[in-house]
Amino acid sequence: MESLHPRIRLLWIAQAAILAIILGIVLAAIDPWLLEIPTAAQVGVVVVGIALGLAYAVRLYQVWQFELQPDALYLERGVITFVETAVPFVRVQHVDTQFGPIERALGLSSVVVYTAGSRNADVRIPGLTPDRARELQDTLRDLAVESEADDAV
Amino acid sequence: MAPTMNRLHPLSAVTYALQYGFLWLWIPVVLLIVLAGAFDPISGAWVPFAAPFGFLAGVAYGIAYYYRFGYEVTDDTVDVSSGVFARRSREIPYGRIQNVDIRQGVLQRLLDLAIVSIETAGGGASEATLNFVSEAEATRLQREIRRRTAAARERRRAGKAGAEAAGVDTESENESKNENEADDTASDADADSSSTPAPTDASRQPDSRERRDQRDRDQGQPDERDQREQDDLWDHPLESGSGSDLESDPESSLGSEPSPDTDRACAPDSESAAEVGSEAGHDRIGPQPADAVDNNAYDTVDEFDDGAGFDEHDDGDEFDEFGQPQKQPLFDLQARELLLYSFTSIRAAAVAGVLFVFFLGTDLVFDYLVTVAQPVGGPEDLGTGTPTNYGILTIVSLINGIVITYVLSVAYTFATYYDFRLGRVDEDFVYERGLLQRYSGSIPAEKVQSVTVTDNPLQRLIGYAGLWVETAGYGPESNGGSQSAVPLAEKARVYTFTENLTGVETPKFEQLPKLARRRYLARYSIIAGVIVAIAFGITQVTVLERWYLAAVVFVAVPPAAHLRYVNLGYYVGEDHLVVRRGFWKRQTTVIPYYRIQTVSTRRSIFQRRLGLASLVIDTASSRTMVRGTPTIYDEELGDARDVHGECRERLQTALRERAESDDLGVSVDFT
Repeated sequence: MESLHPRIRLLWIAQAAILAIILGIVLAAIDPWLLEIPTAAQVGVVVVGIALGLAYAVRLYQVWQFELQPDALYLERGVITFVETAVPFVRVQHVDTQFGPIERALGLSSVVVYTAGSRNADVRIPGLTPDRARELQDTLRDLAVESEADDAV
Repeated sequence: MAPTMNRLHPLSAVTYALQYGFLWLWIPVVLLIVLAGAFDPISGAWVPFAAPFGFLAGVAYGIAYYYRFGYEVTDDTVDVSSGVFARRSREIPYGRIQNVDIRQGVLQRLLDLAIVSIETAGGGASEATLNFVSEAEATRLQREIRRRTAAARERRRAGKAGAEAAGVDTESENESKNENEADDTASDADADSSSTPAPTDASRQPDSRERRDQRDRDQGQPDERDQREQDDLWDHPLESGSGSDLESDPESSLGSEPSPDTDRACAPDSESAAEVGSEAGHDRIGPQPADAVDNNAYDTVDEFDDGAGFDEHDDGDEFDEFGQPQKQPLFDLQARELLLYSFTSIRAAAVAGVLFVFFLGTDLVFDYLVTVAQPVGGPEDLGTGTPTNYGILTIVSLINGIVITYVLSVAYTFATYYDFRLGRVDEDFVYERGLLQRYSGSIPAEKVQSVTVTDNPLQRLIGYAGLWVETAGYGPESNGGSQSAVPLAEKARVYTFTENLTGVETPKFEQLPKLARRRYLARYSIIAGVIVAIAFGITQVTVLERWYLAAVVFVAVPPAAHLRYVNLGYYVGEDHLVVRRGFWKRQTTVIPYYRIQTVSTRRSIFQRRLGLASLVIDTASSRTMVRGTPTIYDEELGDARDVHGECRERLQTALRERAESDDLGVSVDFT
C-alpha cells in the first residue's frame, strides 16, 4: 500500500486553519450586532478549530493508503468513518490530475478518478508529487483503455 | 501545458475576459458592503473605486484562462488542461466517450464559432467543453474523435477475438481460485454462493445442476441457519406455487415460440436463466425439456412450500403469439390493483401539496379548522379558549391534516397511475399512464442497472408489491432514475417478474448479526432521549408542564429497532447481489454484478467498536435522491469484506462472460 506525501498534512492543516479563521471573522462580524461574544471566546474558537484540524490531519495521513490491485484501484481512508473503496479499472471513465493554489505552493498534486456511478463517482487521491500524479494518471488511463467494457452504461 | 496542445479560438479570449470582468466586478462590491457593515474603518464609499479594479482583475483572469486552456487529441485519449491558479489535466479515453456535441448560438453562427462538448457516461455535466473553437475545427474534432473511437473499438474487438482462445485458460484458473476461496469461508451458505462462476454455455449445464443438487442437500440438513434463511426467502409461500403454476400457464408456451425477437432478448441470458430454470421463456435454451428444469429449479423451494399456491395468475392476454416488431403489452394495471395501490401508498407530493395550501391560505385554513373543531369542544375562535379547547383543536386539526393528505395522496396516485400499461418495443420497455394527462416514456432494456421490489407495511399486509427498474442517464436530455415497471401486483407475481427480468435465482437472505439490532436499539434510544429533551425544553418556555409524558416514545424504541433489523438482508447470488432494507418503504434491490461501479466498505466509529461494517454497492443508476445507494448495513466486518471481494471478482467474471456473448442483461419479456 502506498501512503500519501507527508506534506499533505500541511495542506489539510492549512485548510482547517482557513476555515477556522473564516469562522473567527464571522464571529467578529456578528459580535456587535446580534449578541455579545467575548474576544476570548472568539480566539478560543479559532484555536480549538485549528487544533482539531491539526489532529484530524495527522490521523487522516496515518490512515490514508491506496494501491493498484490487479483489477481495481483500492483506497483506504477516513477518520470518523473509515472507508475502503475499490474502483475497478473497467469502470474508470476518465482521469484528472488537479492541483489548487495551496497544493501548488506545497508542490503537491491530486489524481481524480471518475466513474459513472452516483456515490463515490469521483475518487480523489490527494497528496502526490506532480511526477507521481502524472505517472498514476498515465497508468490508470492505460488500465482503463485496456479494460474496456462493452456496456458504456 | 504540453507545447503541442491546441488553444481555443482567439475570440474566446475576448468573451472570457468580458465574462470574468463582469462577474468579478461584483466580488469587491459585495465584500465591501458586507465588511463595511462589520468593521468601522472600511467604508461603503470605496465601491466606485473597487468595482473597476474587480473588473480589470476579471479581464486579466479571463485572458489568462484562455492562455492556460489547452486541448489535444492523442492516440488513446482526448486531453484537456485548464485552470489558472488551480490546474486540471483531464484524459478521456475514446472508449468512454458517449457523444460529441456541437452547439452554435446565433452570434456564434455569425462569427463561425461553435461550442464542442464531449460527454461520457455518468455525471451530470459535460466532461469537456471547448468554448469556443472555429466551426471548421469543431467539425474536424467531431470527425477525428469519431474516427478514433471507432478505431479503438476495432482494436478492442480484434484483441478480444485473439484473446478468446486464451480465454479458456484464464477462466479455469479463475475457477480454481474461486474454489480455494470457498474452502476458506466458514459458513455453508458462503461456500455455496462462491463455489464457481456461473457456467458460460448450455453445455456446462449439467455441472450447474449438480451444484444445485448439492445445495439442496445442504439445505436438507436440519441446520438452524438454514431454517432462518428459509423464513427469509423472497416470500416463500408463493414462490413454488407460481413456479408450478407456470408449467400449465399459457405464458410458458411462449418459450417454444420461434420468435426471433424473444430469442435475442433471452438467449444471452442463458447462463443465469437456464441454470435457475427461471420460469417461462428461458427454458428452451437448455438441452432438457422445460418441465425438467422447472422442477429441478424449484426443488429448492418446494421443501418449504406451505402449499399456498397462487392461482389468480395473469391470464396472458397481453401476449401476441409471435414477437412482432410493434408494441407488445407486458403488464396492464388492473382496476383492483390501481385502487389498492392508490389506497396503500402515501405520496410525498400530497404532503407537500397540503403544506403549500396551508401556507398559501393560512387564515382560511385556520377558520376551517376552528369551525370543524367547534362542535366537539374546540374554542370559539383562535383568540379565546381554555387549554382543553386548544388541545381538542390540535387533535382535530391533526386528524384533519392526515385525512386530507391521505385523500389527496390517493387521488394523486389514482390520477397518476390510471390505466398504467407497460409494453415492449424491440428491446425497450414503453409505458403510459395517467388519467388527466397521459404520460408515456420508454426504458431501454440495455440501460437497466438494477431492479427493485418495493413494498410498504400496508402492501405487505395484503401481500402486494411493486417493481421498479433503475436506469442510467445516457444523454443530455434523458434523466436516469427509477421507473415503475409494475406499480403494484400480487407479490408472487412481482417476484416471478423480477426473476424473469433479471434471471436472479430465488434469494435466500442472509440475516445480519444480532449486534446490528443492538446498535439500532442504542441509536433509537438516543433519538428518543433527544425527543424527551426537546419536550423538556418546550415546557420551560410554554405553559405545558408534563414533559416526562414524552418518555412514552421509549416504548417505540425496541419494536422500531427490531423492525429495522428484520427488514435488512442480503443474498449473494450466482450473477446478482440482492440487497434488502427499510421498513416503511422496504426495497429489495437486485443488482447484477456486471453493473457494479464501485464497492466500498464503510465503518463509522461506532461500527468499528462493534466490529461491524456497511457495504455500499454503487451502480450508475442511483443518482436520484429518492432511493439511496444499495447498502448492506451492519454486517460483520469479515463477512462484509468477503462480499466486497466477491462483488469485485464476480464483476470481472461477468464482464468476461458478457464480452463473449451479446448479452442484454435483462429479459424484455418478463411477465
